[in-house]
Amino acid sequence: MHWTTRSITRSFAFALAATSAVLYGAPAMAAGYPERPIELIVPWGPGGGADQLARLISKLAEPLLGQGLPVVNVPGGTGGTGMAKLLSAPADGYSAAVYIADSHALLAGKSPRWTMADITPVAVMIKGPSFIFVKHDSPYKTWADFEKALRDEPGKLKIATLGFGSVDDFSLSVIARKGLKFVQVPFSKPSERYVSILGGHADALYEQAGDVASFLDNKQMRPLLIFGKERLPAFKDIPSSYELGFNVALPQFRAIVVRSGTPPEIVKKLSDTLAAVAAMPEYQKFLVDQYGAADSFVDAAKATPFIDEQLEDMKKTMATN
Amino acid sequence: MDIIIQLAHGFVSCMTPINMAMLVVGIVVGLLIGVLPGLTLVMGVALALPFTYKMDVTASIVLLTAMYVSGTYGGAFTAILFRIPGEPIDVPMLWDGYTMGRKGQPAKALGWTLVSALGGGLLSAVVMVALTEPLAKFALRFSSPEYFVIVLFGLLSVVAIGKGSLANAFISMSVGILISSVGTDPIYGAFRFTLGSPLLADGIEFLVVMVGAYGVGEVLARLETGFATKPIAKISDAHTELPTWKEMGEVKGMFFRSAVVGDLIGLLPGAGATIASFVAYGIEAKFGKRKAEMGTGIAEGIIAPQAAATASVGGALVHLLALGIPGSGATAVILGAFMLHGIQPGPQVLISSSGMVYTIFASLFLGLVLMCAIGYFAIRPLVKILDFPEAVVSAYVLILCFIGALSIRNNVTDLWLIIGFGVLGYGFERMKFPVAPLVLGVILGPIAEEAFMNTMISFSNDWTVFFTRPISGTIVAFTTIVLLLPSIQRLYLRHFASPAPTAAR
Repeated sequence: MHWTTRSITRSFAFALAATSAVLYGAPAMAAGYPERPIELIVPWGPGGGADQLARLISKLAEPLLGQGLPVVNVPGGTGGTGMAKLLSAPADGYSAAVYIADSHALLAGKSPRWTMADITPVAVMIKGPSFIFVKHDSPYKTWADFEKALRDEPGKLKIATLGFGSVDDFSLSVIARKGLKFVQVPFSKPSERYVSILGGHADALYEQAGDVASFLDNKQMRPLLIFGKERLPAFKDIPSSYELGFNVALPQFRAIVVRSGTPPEIVKKLSDTLAAVAAMPEYQKFLVDQYGAADSFVDAAKATPFIDEQLEDMKKTMATN
Repeated sequence: MDIIIQLAHGFVSCMTPINMAMLVVGIVVGLLIGVLPGLTLVMGVALALPFTYKMDVTASIVLLTAMYVSGTYGGAFTAILFRIPGEPIDVPMLWDGYTMGRKGQPAKALGWTLVSALGGGLLSAVVMVALTEPLAKFALRFSSPEYFVIVLFGLLSVVAIGKGSLANAFISMSVGILISSVGTDPIYGAFRFTLGSPLLADGIEFLVVMVGAYGVGEVLARLETGFATKPIAKISDAHTELPTWKEMGEVKGMFFRSAVVGDLIGLLPGAGATIASFVAYGIEAKFGKRKAEMGTGIAEGIIAPQAAATASVGGALVHLLALGIPGSGATAVILGAFMLHGIQPGPQVLISSSGMVYTIFASLFLGLVLMCAIGYFAIRPLVKILDFPEAVVSAYVLILCFIGALSIRNNVTDLWLIIGFGVLGYGFERMKFPVAPLVLGVILGPIAEEAFMNTMISFSNDWTVFFTRPISGTIVAFTTIVLLLPSIQRLYLRHFASPAPTAAR
């Protein structure tokens, strides 16, 4: 209740400020930004990858901006509920949201609840390729073994994913189109997805390396295939999807977005702050731990084309389905 | 022996001022979270997470774990005193706990919850320390078919508990499951019963139904009688009544049974305190010595859910520490806290940071004892609340319900929904449809659906897996026996015994 009243006053003050800016032609709004805390919306539950990123940014960016960045978890609807919250707030730079590839994939589906015209990307913070993992003692030593098994017994092996219509689904559909038949088992909860591999309930897992880093370090899982154009230095023996003729590389990305219509000076200020955050050793360590690409950071100017291109790729994958 | 020495070290390092301060803060905040309906354990722990940024990793985990443990206990207060479950785990507490309170023994009911929380928690902590690794390995054998049959057992056993019409209980549960199916389908993302509204597309939060049907429904029921329910006599003279040793001796068998069930269910990722509490109550209502009296305000009905709920914490932590997989929403946040400090839980943590792990173990023991000490002194002033005029208490109950509903997702529409479900709950009660199966259907329905769909997808629509897989087959056999025996028994009872009071709602 407290917050609602505040946000009403806030939008009223914003309206006043906007009017005066028009009247006197002075860009007074952005000058003192930020004058109060910036709400950082995580459209996912606490504890996950998007949440961890938001909390790290909140911690590292606070001293730079001189204002707090409280993290608010608004889970639901594959990120849709949190995005609705962002889009209902004023476009004044005091609300931002974490935007990830899985939510972005909804735009490729029918009647999405928002479009790219509604949001302005401030920066892409982390990009990481996806992999096919198996249990460490799995009989499939290489991708070739796995592919052979898929051909020998079509539709028998199970691959655990996030769900139908997700990025995972798009990537796997490219493999399926090469005549390889498998069962996709959707587990929306990460814990159940990992247990399905460790407990031997599924044969393989579609996931980003950062999310299963501990299982890799402990020799409980190992990769068979990386989705991308090239191999990664950390996994130089693992073939990339393009090498094998699966022309798909949809990296998981996590970006920070604000509402469209936010003054460009504010977007720039946020983007510059995030660039400074991305350069901090603590953030670099996070990237390494998450197996993120070293050149993950993309600033506001280049983030929009990058995110647009991802959507085109997903749509292409779907169209040829 | 090694374990005992390590644990002793853990106790010593837990006794530092900062860790003890965090322990006390965590327990008090956890109790408050438990008391507030709508503010769930998971949300509470998530809200506390930012405060741990600057803290040492051990202190932050001690804080969050303490909140988690005491959060499974605090909700019992409002459930017993006002018939508002503070957390979904406290729904079973309404049947015997609230009834015992209404029979003039609220202090006694609270005393029983205290003893069961302490006992259940300590037992599971011991099991956790002794068997972390083998237990974690065992839990890996559970997959979707097993989850489905466990949840099914939870659903069916509660339907069978009610002393009223079995058909009405089934109808009530089906309505609950129907409500839970509103929204986006978890597997294919199809919209169901959303009527084009974005809010409905996110589904109806079970908290809204739970708080509405119980909290608001109860206030409406009292409004009907003009707030003239006879006040419980002589509350002011009530002492904090702990059960006597003799009374405890009589229930030790069922206490162990409930705590072990809670601990085992806590081990399963995706299950947790809520399912533990329902299943433990269900088992007691079927196999307990006094199963016929369950729901009439007897101690067993309080011990089973509370012991199981608190015991599930130990199980969930086993999974987190030994495998790095969070078994519940709250442990997912605790995992986040570990990662923020650059520690990835998993088998290596038990070896590389064993000092920290044993400090956390030790904090669990100390936390349980402290929690019960705080609870003990809180019971007396809390029970006095029941001395206030009913109309005044009801007003506060409504406020609590509204705050709870609003805090779920800061959406005013949820306030209208909770009023709507309040009316529904009241109507159900008036027409002799039990409310519990309705709420249970809403809570467990989605879990059952996802587990069932996943099973069908993984086993190419072969439904026999529920019977042929060893663990799920065993649970199915068990469920069948459980369901058939008492139904036959009940038919007999209905003919030969006087009808039991219909308090078991």
